[in-house]
Amino acid sequence: MFVEEIMHRDVMTVSPDVTLAEAYQTLRRGRFRHLPVIEEGRLIGVVTDRDLRLATSRLADHPFAPEARVGDVMSSPVSTAHSRDPVEQAARVMRDARIGCLPVEEDGELVGILTVTDLIDAFLAVTGARRPSGRLELRLEGRPQEFAALTKVFADLDVSIASILTTQESDGGTRVIVRPETIDLRQVASRLCAEGFEIVWPPPLACQP
Amino acid sequence: MPTLIYGPGYGNYDFGDRHPFSPVRAEATLDLMRQLDIDAEPVIPEPATIDEVCSIHDREYVETVEALGTGEDVSDFERFGLGTADNPIAPGMGEGARHLVGGTLTGARRLMSGADERILQLGGGLHHAKRSFAAGFCVYNDLSIAIKDLVDHGMYVAYVDIDAHHCDGVQETFYSSEQVMTISLHESPEFLFPGTGWVHELGRGMGRGHHLNVPLDPFTRGAGYLRAFDAVVGPALSWFRPDVLVVQAGADGHATDPLADLMLTTADYEALFRRLIALTDQHAKGRMLVTLGGGYSLHAVARVWAILGLVLWDMPVPAKVPQAWLERWRPLLGDAPEELHDAALEAAPGQEEIESHNRQTTTRLLDAVAPLWI
Repeated sequence: MFVEEIMHRDVMTVSPDVTLAEAYQTLRRGRFRHLPVIEEGRLIGVVTDRDLRLATSRLADHPFAPEARVGDVMSSPVSTAHSRDPVEQAARVMRDARIGCLPVEEDGELVGILTVTDLIDAFLAVTGARRPSGRLELRLEGRPQEFAALTKVFADLDVSIASILTTQESDGGTRVIVRPETIDLRQVASRLCAEGFEIVWPPPLACQP
Repeated sequence: MPTLIYGPGYGNYDFGDRHPFSPVRAEATLDLMRQLDIDAEPVIPEPATIDEVCSIHDREYVETVEALGTGEDVSDFERFGLGTADNPIAPGMGEGARHLVGGTLTGARRLMSGADERILQLGGGLHHAKRSFAAGFCVYNDLSIAIKDLVDHGMYVAYVDIDAHHCDGVQETFYSSEQVMTISLHESPEFLFPGTGWVHELGRGMGRGHHLNVPLDPFTRGAGYLRAFDAVVGPALSWFRPDVLVVQAGADGHATDPLADLMLTTADYEALFRRLIALTDQHAKGRMLVTLGGGYSLHAVARVWAILGLVLWDMPVPAKVPQAWLERWRPLLGDAPEELHDAALEAAPGQEEIESHNRQTTTRLLDAVAPLWI
Protein backbone atom coordinates (compact mmCIF):
# COMPACT_ATOMS: atom_id res chain seq x y z
CA MET A 1 0.00 0.00 0.00
CA PHE A 2 1.43 3.34 -1.05
CA VAL A 3 1.01 6.74 0.55
CA GLU A 4 -0.85 8.05 -2.51
CA GLU A 5 -3.60 5.47 -1.94
CA ILE A 6 -4.57 6.79 1.47
CA MET A 7 -3.43 10.46 1.52
CA HIS A 8 -5.68 13.51 1.19
CA ARG A 9 -5.16 15.34 -2.10
CA ASP A 10 -6.98 18.62 -1.47
CA VAL A 11 -4.56 20.33 0.86
CA MET A 12 -5.29 23.69 2.42
CA THR A 13 -2.05 25.68 2.81
CA VAL A 14 -1.07 29.10 4.18
CA SER A 15 1.71 31.57 3.53
CA PRO A 16 4.13 32.38 6.39
CA ASP A 17 2.77 35.95 6.46
CA VAL A 18 -0.72 34.92 7.54
CA THR A 19 -1.55 35.80 11.15
CA LEU A 20 -1.98 33.16 13.82
CA ALA A 21 -5.62 34.21 14.22
CA GLU A 22 -6.30 33.73 10.50
CA ALA A 23 -4.55 30.35 10.43
CA TYR A 24 -6.54 29.24 13.47
CA GLN A 25 -9.82 30.20 11.79
CA THR A 26 -8.79 28.26 8.67
CA LEU A 27 -8.21 25.14 10.77
CA ARG A 28 -11.46 25.56 12.65
CA ARG A 29 -13.55 26.09 9.52
CA GLY A 30 -11.97 23.14 7.75
CA ARG A 31 -12.13 20.93 10.87
CA PHE A 32 -8.57 19.72 10.54
CA ARG A 33 -5.35 20.12 12.48
CA HIS A 34 -2.38 20.50 10.11
CA LEU A 35 -1.54 23.36 7.74
CA PRO A 36 1.49 23.18 5.43
CA VAL A 37 3.17 26.55 5.05
CA ILE A 38 4.11 27.48 1.48
CA GLU A 39 6.40 30.27 0.33
CA GLU A 40 6.97 30.90 -3.36
CA GLY A 41 5.59 27.45 -4.20
CA ARG A 42 7.98 25.77 -1.80
CA LEU A 43 7.03 23.89 1.38
CA ILE A 44 8.85 25.58 4.25
CA GLY A 45 6.96 24.40 7.35
CA VAL A 46 3.87 23.01 9.00
CA VAL A 47 1.73 24.72 11.58
CA THR A 48 -0.71 22.73 13.68
CA ASP A 49 -3.59 23.76 15.90
CA ARG A 50 -1.43 22.69 18.81
CA ASP A 51 1.42 24.98 17.66
CA LEU A 52 -1.03 27.88 17.53
CA ARG A 53 -2.60 27.18 20.90
CA LEU A 54 0.74 26.70 22.65
CA ALA A 55 2.27 29.78 21.02
CA THR A 56 -0.60 32.01 22.13
CA SER A 57 -1.22 30.39 25.50
CA ARG A 58 -1.06 32.63 28.53
CA LEU A 59 0.89 29.79 30.13
CA ALA A 60 3.72 30.24 27.63
CA ASP A 61 6.87 32.05 28.73
CA HIS A 62 6.54 34.60 25.95
CA PRO A 63 3.08 34.32 24.44
CA PHE A 64 2.66 35.38 20.83
CA ALA A 65 -0.10 37.84 19.94
CA PRO A 66 -2.88 36.65 17.63
CA GLU A 67 -1.51 39.12 15.07
CA ALA A 68 1.90 37.39 14.97
CA ARG A 69 2.91 35.63 11.73
CA VAL A 70 2.65 31.89 11.11
CA GLY A 71 6.26 31.91 9.95
CA ASP A 72 7.33 32.68 13.53
CA VAL A 73 5.69 29.66 15.19
CA MET A 74 5.63 26.97 12.50
CA SER A 75 7.66 23.75 12.70
CA SER A 76 10.52 23.86 10.24
CA PRO A 77 12.20 22.08 8.53
CA VAL A 78 9.51 19.54 7.71
CA SER A 79 9.57 15.75 7.41
CA THR A 80 7.85 14.77 4.17
CA ALA A 81 6.79 11.65 2.33
CA HIS A 82 6.77 10.80 -1.37
CA SER A 83 3.51 9.61 -2.85
CA ARG A 84 5.13 6.30 -3.79
CA ASP A 85 6.51 5.63 -0.29
CA PRO A 86 5.11 2.53 1.36
CA VAL A 87 2.56 3.40 4.02
CA GLU A 88 4.53 1.53 6.67
CA GLN A 89 7.58 3.67 6.01
CA ALA A 90 5.56 6.86 6.37
CA ALA A 91 4.08 5.49 9.60
CA ARG A 92 7.58 4.73 10.90
CA VAL A 93 8.76 8.28 10.18
CA MET A 94 5.76 9.77 11.96
CA ARG A 95 6.17 7.44 14.91
CA ASP A 96 9.92 8.14 15.32
CA ALA A 97 9.55 11.91 14.93
CA ARG A 98 6.40 11.90 17.12
CA ILE A 99 4.47 13.98 14.63
CA GLY A 100 0.90 13.82 13.42
CA CYS A 101 1.25 14.49 9.71
CA LEU A 102 3.51 14.23 6.70
CA PRO A 103 3.12 16.57 3.74
CA VAL A 104 3.46 14.51 0.55
CA GLU A 105 5.70 15.83 -2.21
CA GLU A 106 6.58 14.86 -5.76
CA ASP A 107 9.53 16.65 -7.38
CA GLY A 108 9.44 19.34 -4.70
CA GLU A 109 5.75 20.01 -5.24
CA LEU A 110 3.12 19.49 -2.55
CA VAL A 111 0.59 16.90 -3.80
CA GLY A 112 -1.11 15.75 -0.60
CA ILE A 113 -1.02 15.26 3.13
CA LEU A 114 -0.98 12.13 5.25
CA THR A 115 -2.23 12.22 8.85
CA VAL A 116 -2.50 9.74 11.70
CA THR A 117 -6.22 9.55 10.96
CA ASP A 118 -5.45 8.31 7.44
CA LEU A 119 -3.23 5.62 8.97
CA ILE A 120 -6.06 4.54 11.28
CA ASP A 121 -8.37 4.34 8.27
CA ALA A 122 -5.78 2.20 6.48
CA PHE A 123 -5.51 -0.05 9.54
CA LEU A 124 -9.29 -0.46 9.58
CA ALA A 125 -9.31 -1.23 5.87
CA VAL A 126 -6.65 -3.91 6.35
CA THR A 127 -8.15 -5.54 9.43
CA GLY A 128 -11.86 -5.10 8.79
CA ALA A 129 -14.35 -7.25 6.96
CA ARG A 130 -14.93 -5.64 3.61
CA ARG A 131 -16.92 -8.64 2.44
CA PRO A 132 -19.10 -10.93 4.51
CA SER A 133 -16.61 -13.28 6.10
CA GLY A 134 -15.69 -15.10 9.28
CA ARG A 135 -12.44 -15.15 11.18
CA LEU A 136 -10.11 -18.11 11.35
CA GLU A 137 -6.94 -17.89 13.35
CA LEU A 138 -4.05 -20.34 13.15
CA ARG A 139 -0.39 -20.69 14.04
CA LEU A 140 2.22 -21.59 11.44
CA GLU A 141 5.75 -22.74 12.11
CA GLY A 142 7.36 -20.84 9.27
CA ARG A 143 8.10 -23.86 7.06
CA PRO A 144 8.06 -23.58 3.27
CA GLN A 145 4.85 -24.57 1.48
CA GLU A 146 2.72 -23.97 4.56
CA PHE A 147 0.76 -21.23 2.86
CA ALA A 148 0.32 -23.30 -0.27
CA ALA A 149 -1.14 -26.14 1.80
CA LEU A 150 -3.29 -23.64 3.67
CA THR A 151 -4.80 -22.02 0.62
CA LYS A 152 -5.28 -25.35 -1.14
CA VAL A 153 -7.80 -26.34 1.53
CA PHE A 154 -9.78 -23.20 0.76
CA ALA A 155 -9.62 -23.92 -2.95
CA ASP A 156 -10.78 -27.51 -2.45
CA LEU A 157 -13.78 -26.29 -0.46
CA ASP A 158 -14.72 -23.51 -2.94
CA VAL A 159 -14.27 -20.89 -0.26
CA SER A 160 -12.86 -17.47 -1.19
CA ILE A 161 -10.51 -15.64 1.13
CA ALA A 162 -11.46 -12.03 1.90
CA SER A 163 -8.16 -11.20 3.62
CA ILE A 164 -5.09 -12.69 5.27
CA LEU A 165 -3.17 -10.97 8.07
CA THR A 166 -0.03 -12.27 9.69
CA THR A 167 1.85 -11.25 12.83
CA GLN A 168 5.11 -12.61 14.21
CA GLU A 169 4.99 -14.23 17.62
CA SER A 170 7.82 -13.94 20.14
CA ASP A 171 8.73 -17.65 19.78
CA GLY A 172 9.30 -17.25 16.04
CA GLY A 173 5.95 -18.67 14.97
CA THR A 174 3.55 -16.86 12.71
CA ARG A 175 0.00 -16.06 13.75
CA VAL A 176 -2.27 -15.97 10.73
CA ILE A 177 -5.75 -14.48 10.65
CA VAL A 178 -7.69 -15.53 7.60
CA ARG A 179 -11.11 -14.13 6.75
CA PRO A 180 -12.87 -16.86 4.76
CA GLU A 181 -16.01 -15.88 2.87
CA THR A 182 -18.13 -18.55 4.48
CA ILE A 183 -20.57 -18.77 7.34
CA ASP A 184 -19.50 -22.38 7.93
CA LEU A 185 -16.13 -21.69 9.48
CA ARG A 186 -15.85 -25.00 11.28
CA GLN A 187 -16.03 -26.91 8.04
CA VAL A 188 -12.84 -25.13 6.93
CA ALA A 189 -11.27 -25.37 10.37
CA SER A 190 -11.83 -29.08 10.73
CA ARG A 191 -10.30 -29.72 7.32
CA LEU A 192 -7.27 -27.58 8.17
CA CYS A 193 -6.95 -29.32 11.50
CA ALA A 194 -7.00 -32.69 9.72
CA GLU A 195 -4.19 -31.42 7.50
CA GLY A 196 -2.13 -30.81 10.63
CA PHE A 197 -2.63 -27.07 11.06
CA GLU A 198 -2.77 -25.65 14.58
CA ILE A 199 -6.09 -23.84 14.90
CA VAL A 200 -6.37 -21.02 17.43
CA TRP A 201 -9.95 -20.02 16.53
CA PRO A 202 -12.60 -21.46 16.30
CA PRO A 203 -12.12 -23.32 19.60
CA PRO A 204 -11.44 -27.05 19.95
CA LEU A 205 -13.12 -29.25 17.42
CA ALA A 206 -12.81 -32.71 16.05
CA CYS A 207 -10.63 -32.99 12.96
CA GLN A 208 -12.56 -34.32 10.01
CA PRO A 209 -10.90 -35.67 6.91
CA MET B 1 -55.24 -18.03 17.03
CA PRO B 2 -51.90 -17.51 15.37
CA THR B 3 -51.46 -18.40 11.73
CA LEU B 4 -48.88 -20.83 10.41
CA ILE B 5 -47.40 -20.30 6.95
CA TYR B 6 -45.63 -23.14 5.20
CA GLY B 7 -45.67 -24.64 1.74
CA PRO B 8 -44.21 -27.69 0.03
CA GLY B 9 -42.36 -25.28 -2.29
CA TYR B 10 -40.02 -24.44 0.59
CA GLY B 11 -38.34 -27.78 -0.01
CA ASN B 12 -37.02 -26.48 -3.34
CA TYR B 13 -34.59 -24.20 -1.54
CA ASP B 14 -32.14 -27.04 -1.13
CA PHE B 15 -28.39 -27.00 -1.69
CA GLY B 16 -27.93 -30.73 -1.23
CA ASP B 17 -27.45 -33.26 1.55
CA ARG B 18 -24.11 -31.94 2.73
CA HIS B 19 -25.25 -28.33 2.98
CA PRO B 20 -26.21 -27.08 6.48
CA PHE B 21 -29.18 -24.91 5.40
CA SER B 22 -31.47 -27.85 4.80
CA PRO B 23 -35.24 -27.71 4.26
CA VAL B 24 -35.41 -30.77 6.51
CA ARG B 25 -35.05 -28.42 9.47
CA ALA B 26 -38.48 -26.90 8.83
CA GLU B 27 -40.03 -30.25 7.87
CA ALA B 28 -38.90 -31.90 11.09
CA THR B 29 -40.09 -28.86 13.05
CA LEU B 30 -43.53 -28.95 11.44
CA ASP B 31 -43.79 -32.65 12.21
CA LEU B 32 -42.80 -32.07 15.83
CA MET B 33 -45.34 -29.23 16.14
CA ARG B 34 -48.06 -31.57 14.86
CA GLN B 35 -47.05 -34.35 17.20
CA LEU B 36 -47.19 -31.87 20.06
CA ASP B 37 -50.83 -31.24 19.03
CA ILE B 38 -50.36 -27.67 17.88
CA ASP B 39 -53.57 -27.20 15.96
CA ALA B 40 -52.40 -25.32 12.88
CA GLU B 41 -53.21 -26.07 9.29
CA PRO B 42 -50.61 -24.10 7.36
CA VAL B 43 -51.55 -21.40 4.91
CA ILE B 44 -49.74 -22.33 1.69
CA PRO B 45 -48.27 -19.16 0.15
CA GLU B 46 -47.81 -18.34 -3.50
CA PRO B 47 -44.19 -17.89 -4.52
CA ALA B 48 -43.14 -14.25 -4.83
CA THR B 49 -42.98 -12.87 -8.36
CA ILE B 50 -39.75 -11.69 -9.95
CA ASP B 51 -41.03 -8.11 -9.67
CA GLU B 52 -41.67 -8.52 -5.96
CA VAL B 53 -38.13 -9.82 -5.47
CA CYS B 54 -36.83 -6.84 -7.46
CA SER B 55 -38.32 -4.44 -4.89
CA ILE B 56 -35.07 -5.04 -3.02
CA HIS B 57 -32.71 -6.85 -5.37
CA ASP B 58 -31.12 -5.73 -8.63
CA ARG B 59 -32.86 -7.24 -11.65
CA GLU B 60 -29.59 -8.42 -13.18
CA TYR B 61 -28.81 -10.36 -10.01
CA VAL B 62 -32.29 -11.87 -9.86
CA GLU B 63 -32.16 -12.88 -13.50
CA THR B 64 -28.81 -14.55 -12.90
CA VAL B 65 -30.15 -16.51 -9.92
CA GLU B 66 -33.24 -17.62 -11.86
CA ALA B 67 -31.21 -18.62 -14.92
CA LEU B 68 -28.71 -20.63 -12.85
CA GLY B 69 -31.60 -22.33 -11.07
CA THR B 70 -33.09 -23.52 -14.34
CA GLY B 71 -29.75 -24.86 -15.54
CA GLU B 72 -29.00 -22.15 -18.07
CA ASP B 73 -25.39 -21.58 -18.98
CA VAL B 74 -24.53 -18.28 -17.30
CA SER B 75 -21.09 -16.78 -17.01
CA ASP B 76 -19.72 -14.29 -14.53
CA PHE B 77 -21.96 -15.36 -11.64
CA GLU B 78 -19.19 -15.34 -9.04
CA ARG B 79 -19.35 -11.56 -8.69
CA PHE B 80 -22.81 -12.13 -7.21
CA GLY B 81 -21.45 -14.48 -4.53
CA LEU B 82 -23.00 -17.45 -6.35
CA GLY B 83 -21.28 -20.75 -7.02
CA THR B 84 -19.48 -20.70 -3.67
CA ALA B 85 -19.40 -23.20 -0.81
CA ASP B 86 -22.13 -21.26 1.03
CA ASN B 87 -24.26 -20.49 -2.00
CA PRO B 88 -23.64 -23.23 -4.53
CA ILE B 89 -25.62 -23.42 -7.72
CA ALA B 90 -28.61 -25.65 -7.10
CA PRO B 91 -31.46 -26.61 -9.39
CA GLY B 92 -34.57 -24.57 -8.68
CA MET B 93 -32.82 -22.23 -6.29
CA GLY B 94 -34.51 -19.13 -7.69
CA GLU B 95 -37.95 -20.65 -7.50
CA GLY B 96 -37.24 -22.18 -4.08
CA ALA B 97 -36.06 -18.84 -2.77
CA ARG B 98 -39.19 -17.17 -4.16
CA HIS B 99 -41.34 -19.66 -2.27
CA LEU B 100 -39.66 -18.59 0.98
CA VAL B 101 -40.04 -14.91 0.04
CA GLY B 102 -43.70 -15.56 -0.80
CA GLY B 103 -44.25 -16.99 2.68
CA THR B 104 -42.78 -14.00 4.50
CA LEU B 105 -44.56 -11.60 2.16
CA THR B 106 -47.87 -13.40 2.72
CA GLY B 107 -47.32 -13.03 6.45
CA ALA B 108 -46.71 -9.29 6.10
CA ARG B 109 -49.84 -8.84 3.96
CA ARG B 110 -52.05 -10.80 6.34
CA LEU B 111 -50.88 -8.55 9.16
CA MET B 112 -51.63 -5.46 7.07
CA SER B 113 -55.11 -6.65 6.15
CA GLY B 114 -55.87 -7.23 9.81
CA ALA B 115 -56.63 -10.90 9.13
CA ASP B 116 -54.04 -12.03 11.65
CA GLU B 117 -52.05 -10.72 14.56
CA ARG B 118 -49.53 -13.47 15.26
CA ILE B 119 -47.91 -15.26 12.37
CA LEU B 120 -45.29 -17.97 12.28
CA GLN B 121 -43.64 -18.35 8.89
CA LEU B 122 -41.97 -21.75 9.03
CA GLY B 123 -39.11 -20.80 6.76
CA GLY B 124 -37.26 -17.77 5.43
CA GLY B 125 -35.15 -15.46 7.54
CA LEU B 126 -32.49 -15.07 4.84
CA HIS B 127 -31.00 -11.99 6.45
CA HIS B 128 -27.57 -12.06 4.75
CA ALA B 129 -28.75 -11.60 1.15
CA LYS B 130 -27.67 -8.22 -0.23
CA ARG B 131 -29.00 -6.13 -3.09
CA SER B 132 -26.97 -8.05 -5.65
CA PHE B 133 -24.93 -10.48 -3.59
CA ALA B 134 -25.71 -13.89 -2.15
CA ALA B 135 -24.01 -14.73 1.14
CA GLY B 136 -24.27 -17.04 4.13
CA PHE B 137 -26.80 -19.44 2.52
CA CYS B 138 -29.08 -16.52 1.60
CA VAL B 139 -30.07 -15.74 -1.99
CA TYR B 140 -33.20 -13.55 -1.74
CA ASN B 141 -33.80 -11.48 1.35
CA ASP B 142 -37.38 -12.40 2.25
CA LEU B 143 -37.23 -10.19 5.35
CA SER B 144 -36.18 -7.04 3.51
CA ILE B 145 -38.78 -7.67 0.81
CA ALA B 146 -41.59 -8.16 3.34
CA ILE B 147 -40.51 -5.21 5.49
CA LYS B 148 -40.29 -3.02 2.36
CA ASP B 149 -43.87 -3.96 1.56
CA LEU B 150 -44.98 -2.99 5.07
CA VAL B 151 -43.07 0.28 4.85
CA ASP B 152 -44.56 1.08 1.43
CA HIS B 153 -47.97 0.78 3.07
CA GLY B 154 -47.01 3.37 5.66
CA MET B 155 -46.16 1.07 8.53
CA TYR B 156 -43.38 1.54 11.02
CA VAL B 157 -41.59 -1.76 11.39
CA ALA B 158 -39.40 -2.98 14.21
CA TYR B 159 -37.20 -5.94 13.33
CA VAL B 160 -35.59 -8.06 16.02
CA ASP B 161 -33.01 -10.63 14.96
CA ILE B 162 -31.98 -13.30 17.46
CA ASP B 163 -29.95 -15.35 14.96
CA ALA B 164 -26.36 -15.87 16.15
CA HIS B 165 -25.16 -13.97 13.06
CA HIS B 166 -25.57 -10.27 12.33
CA CYS B 167 -28.44 -9.35 9.98
CA ASP B 168 -26.17 -7.46 7.57
CA GLY B 169 -28.53 -7.68 4.58
CA VAL B 170 -31.60 -6.35 6.39
CA GLN B 171 -29.62 -3.63 8.16
CA GLU B 172 -28.10 -2.48 4.88
CA THR B 173 -31.50 -2.27 3.15
CA PHE B 174 -32.95 0.06 5.75
CA TYR B 175 -29.80 1.75 7.05
CA SER B 176 -31.00 5.24 6.10
CA SER B 177 -34.66 4.67 6.94
CA GLU B 178 -36.45 6.14 9.92
CA GLN B 179 -39.43 3.88 9.27
CA VAL B 180 -37.60 0.69 10.18
CA MET B 181 -35.75 -0.13 13.36
CA THR B 182 -33.44 -3.13 13.25
CA ILE B 183 -32.19 -4.70 16.47
CA SER B 184 -29.75 -7.58 16.23
CA LEU B 185 -28.28 -9.63 19.05
CA HIS B 186 -25.47 -11.84 17.81
CA GLU B 187 -22.07 -13.32 18.50
CA SER B 188 -19.33 -10.71 18.19
CA PRO B 189 -18.35 -9.88 14.59
CA GLU B 190 -14.75 -10.04 15.72
CA PHE B 191 -15.10 -13.80 15.48
CA LEU B 192 -18.23 -14.66 13.59
CA PHE B 193 -19.47 -14.24 10.04
CA PRO B 194 -20.30 -11.79 8.48
CA GLY B 195 -17.89 -9.52 10.39
CA THR B 196 -20.34 -6.64 10.80
CA GLY B 197 -22.80 -5.73 13.54
CA TRP B 198 -20.60 -3.57 15.75
CA VAL B 199 -22.08 -1.23 18.32
CA HIS B 200 -21.07 1.81 16.29
CA GLU B 201 -23.29 0.78 13.35
CA LEU B 202 -26.25 2.97 14.30
CA GLY B 203 -27.70 3.95 10.92
CA ARG B 204 -27.14 6.75 8.46
CA GLY B 205 -28.93 10.07 7.94
CA MET B 206 -32.57 9.81 9.00
CA GLY B 207 -31.90 6.21 10.03
CA ARG B 208 -29.38 7.15 12.68
CA GLY B 209 -30.32 5.65 16.04
CA HIS B 210 -32.67 3.20 14.33
CA HIS B 211 -30.17 0.36 13.96
CA LEU B 212 -28.95 -1.35 17.08
CA ASN B 213 -26.35 -4.07 17.35
CA VAL B 214 -25.59 -6.06 20.46
CA PRO B 215 -22.45 -8.11 19.77
CA LEU B 216 -21.99 -10.70 22.49
CA ASP B 217 -18.83 -12.58 23.40
CA PRO B 218 -18.44 -16.18 22.28
CA PHE B 219 -19.73 -18.57 24.97
CA THR B 220 -22.26 -16.06 26.27
CA ARG B 221 -24.94 -17.95 28.19
CA GLY B 222 -28.66 -17.45 28.53
CA ALA B 223 -28.61 -15.27 31.64
CA GLY B 224 -26.21 -12.80 30.03
CA TYR B 225 -28.04 -12.91 26.71
CA LEU B 226 -31.39 -12.18 28.34
CA ARG B 227 -29.86 -9.39 30.41
CA ALA B 228 -28.56 -7.74 27.23
CA PHE B 229 -31.92 -8.31 25.51
CA ASP B 230 -33.80 -6.69 28.39
CA ALA B 231 -31.42 -3.76 28.56
CA VAL B 232 -31.81 -2.91 24.87
CA VAL B 233 -34.93 -4.29 23.20
CA GLY B 234 -37.62 -3.03 25.57
CA PRO B 235 -36.33 0.55 25.70
CA ALA B 236 -35.81 0.59 21.92
CA LEU B 237 -39.35 -0.58 21.12
CA SER B 238 -40.85 1.72 23.71
CA TRP B 239 -39.11 4.65 22.01
CA PHE B 240 -39.84 3.59 18.42
CA ARG B 241 -43.46 2.43 18.91
CA PRO B 242 -43.75 0.30 15.77
CA ASP B 243 -46.93 -0.82 14.03
CA VAL B 244 -45.60 -4.35 13.74
CA LEU B 245 -42.73 -6.49 14.99
CA VAL B 246 -40.88 -8.78 12.59
CA VAL B 247 -38.70 -11.39 14.29
CA GLN B 248 -35.99 -13.49 12.71
CA ALA B 249 -35.87 -16.43 15.10
CA GLY B 250 -32.68 -18.15 14.02
CA ALA B 251 -31.80 -20.89 16.48
CA ASP B 252 -28.05 -21.07 15.91
CA GLY B 253 -27.40 -19.43 19.24
CA HIS B 254 -28.13 -22.83 20.77
CA ALA B 255 -25.22 -24.32 22.70
CA THR B 256 -24.95 -27.31 20.35
CA ASP B 257 -24.94 -25.33 17.11
CA PRO B 258 -21.97 -26.28 14.93
CA LEU B 259 -21.61 -22.87 13.24
CA ALA B 260 -21.62 -20.45 16.17
CA ASP B 261 -20.38 -20.21 19.76
CA LEU B 262 -23.23 -18.87 21.88
CA MET B 263 -24.50 -21.08 24.72
CA LEU B 264 -28.28 -20.74 24.79
CA THR B 265 -30.52 -23.57 25.93
CA THR B 266 -34.11 -24.31 24.97
CA ALA B 267 -35.20 -22.78 28.27
CA ASP B 268 -33.44 -19.55 27.31
CA TYR B 269 -35.25 -19.57 23.98
CA GLU B 270 -38.58 -20.10 25.69
CA ALA B 271 -37.87 -17.11 27.92
CA LEU B 272 -36.85 -15.10 24.86
CA PHE B 273 -40.03 -15.98 22.94
CA ARG B 274 -42.22 -15.05 25.91
CA ARG B 275 -40.46 -11.69 26.14
CA LEU B 276 -40.93 -11.05 22.41
CA ILE B 277 -44.65 -11.74 22.65
CA ALA B 278 -45.03 -9.51 25.70
CA LEU B 279 -43.13 -6.71 23.94
CA THR B 280 -45.30 -7.11 20.84
CA ASP B 281 -48.45 -6.72 22.92
CA GLN B 282 -46.96 -3.79 24.79
CA HIS B 283 -45.31 -1.82 21.99
CA ALA B 284 -46.28 -3.20 18.56
CA LYS B 285 -50.08 -3.32 18.64
CA GLY B 286 -49.95 -7.07 19.15
CA ARG B 287 -48.83 -7.64 15.56
CA MET B 288 -45.95 -10.04 15.09
CA LEU B 289 -44.46 -11.93 12.18
CA VAL B 290 -41.87 -14.55 13.11
CA THR B 291 -39.65 -16.30 10.57
CA LEU B 292 -37.10 -19.05 10.97
CA GLY B 293 -33.43 -18.45 10.21
CA GLY B 294 -30.12 -20.11 10.93
CA GLY B 295 -29.73 -23.13 13.16
CA TYR B 296 -27.82 -26.20 12.08
CA SER B 297 -28.24 -28.79 14.79
CA LEU B 298 -31.42 -30.60 13.76
CA HIS B 299 -32.58 -31.73 17.19
CA ALA B 300 -31.87 -28.29 18.63
CA VAL B 301 -33.71 -26.29 15.96
CA ALA B 302 -36.72 -28.63 15.93
CA ARG B 303 -37.09 -28.37 19.69
CA VAL B 304 -36.43 -24.60 19.82
CA TRP B 305 -38.90 -23.84 17.03
CA ALA B 306 -41.52 -26.29 18.37
CA ILE B 307 -41.25 -24.45 21.69
CA LEU B 308 -41.72 -21.22 19.71
CA GLY B 309 -44.92 -22.73 18.31
CA LEU B 310 -46.15 -23.83 21.74
CA VAL B 311 -45.51 -20.37 23.17
CA LEU B 312 -47.22 -18.61 20.24
CA TRP B 313 -50.22 -20.93 20.47
CA ASP B 314 -50.40 -20.39 24.26
CA MET B 315 -49.84 -24.04 25.03
CA PRO B 316 -47.87 -25.55 27.91
CA VAL B 317 -44.45 -26.99 27.06
CA PRO B 318 -44.54 -30.73 27.79
CA ALA B 319 -41.54 -32.55 29.23
CA LYS B 320 -41.01 -35.19 26.57
CA VAL B 321 -40.33 -35.23 22.86
CA PRO B 322 -42.94 -37.60 21.34
CA GLN B 323 -41.40 -41.03 20.72
CA ALA B 324 -42.94 -41.29 17.26
CA TRP B 325 -41.14 -38.11 16.21
CA LEU B 326 -37.82 -39.35 17.56
CA GLU B 327 -38.19 -42.61 15.71
CA ARG B 328 -39.20 -40.99 12.47
CA TRP B 329 -36.25 -38.60 12.40
CA ARG B 330 -33.73 -40.84 14.17
CA PRO B 331 -31.51 -41.36 11.12
CA LEU B 332 -30.93 -37.59 10.86
CA LEU B 333 -31.05 -36.77 14.55
CA GLY B 334 -28.32 -39.01 15.84
CA ASP B 335 -28.15 -39.01 19.59
CA ALA B 336 -31.01 -36.63 20.41
CA PRO B 337 -32.32 -35.86 23.88
CA GLU B 338 -35.74 -37.28 24.76
CA GLU B 339 -36.71 -34.24 26.78
CA LEU B 340 -38.08 -31.19 25.00
CA HIS B 341 -35.95 -28.94 27.19
CA ASP B 342 -32.19 -29.23 27.49
CA ALA B 343 -30.56 -30.14 30.75
CA ALA B 344 -29.06 -27.08 32.46
CA LEU B 345 -25.50 -26.30 31.37
CA GLU B 346 -22.68 -27.18 33.69
CA ALA B 347 -20.70 -24.37 35.24
CA ALA B 348 -17.75 -23.19 33.16
CA PRO B 349 -14.89 -20.83 33.89
CA GLY B 350 -14.56 -17.41 32.32
CA GLN B 351 -18.20 -16.36 32.67
CA GLU B 352 -17.39 -13.29 34.79
CA GLU B 353 -15.12 -11.84 32.11
CA ILE B 354 -17.66 -12.57 29.40
CA GLU B 355 -20.42 -10.94 31.40
CA SER B 356 -18.32 -7.93 32.26
CA HIS B 357 -17.56 -7.38 28.59
CA ASN B 358 -21.16 -7.89 27.53
CA ARG B 359 -22.38 -5.43 30.13
CA GLN B 360 -19.97 -2.84 28.81
CA THR B 361 -21.21 -3.50 25.28
CA THR B 362 -24.84 -2.80 26.18
CA THR B 363 -23.84 0.26 28.18
CA ARG B 364 -21.86 1.64 25.25
CA LEU B 365 -24.76 1.02 22.90
CA LEU B 366 -27.31 2.72 25.16
CA ASP B 367 -24.95 5.65 25.74
CA ALA B 368 -24.48 6.02 21.98
CA VAL B 369 -28.19 6.06 21.16
CA ALA B 370 -29.34 8.14 24.15
CA PRO B 371 -28.73 11.51 22.42
CA LEU B 372 -30.42 10.19 19.25
CA TRP B 373 -33.58 9.04 20.99
CA ILE B 374 -35.21 12.40 21.62
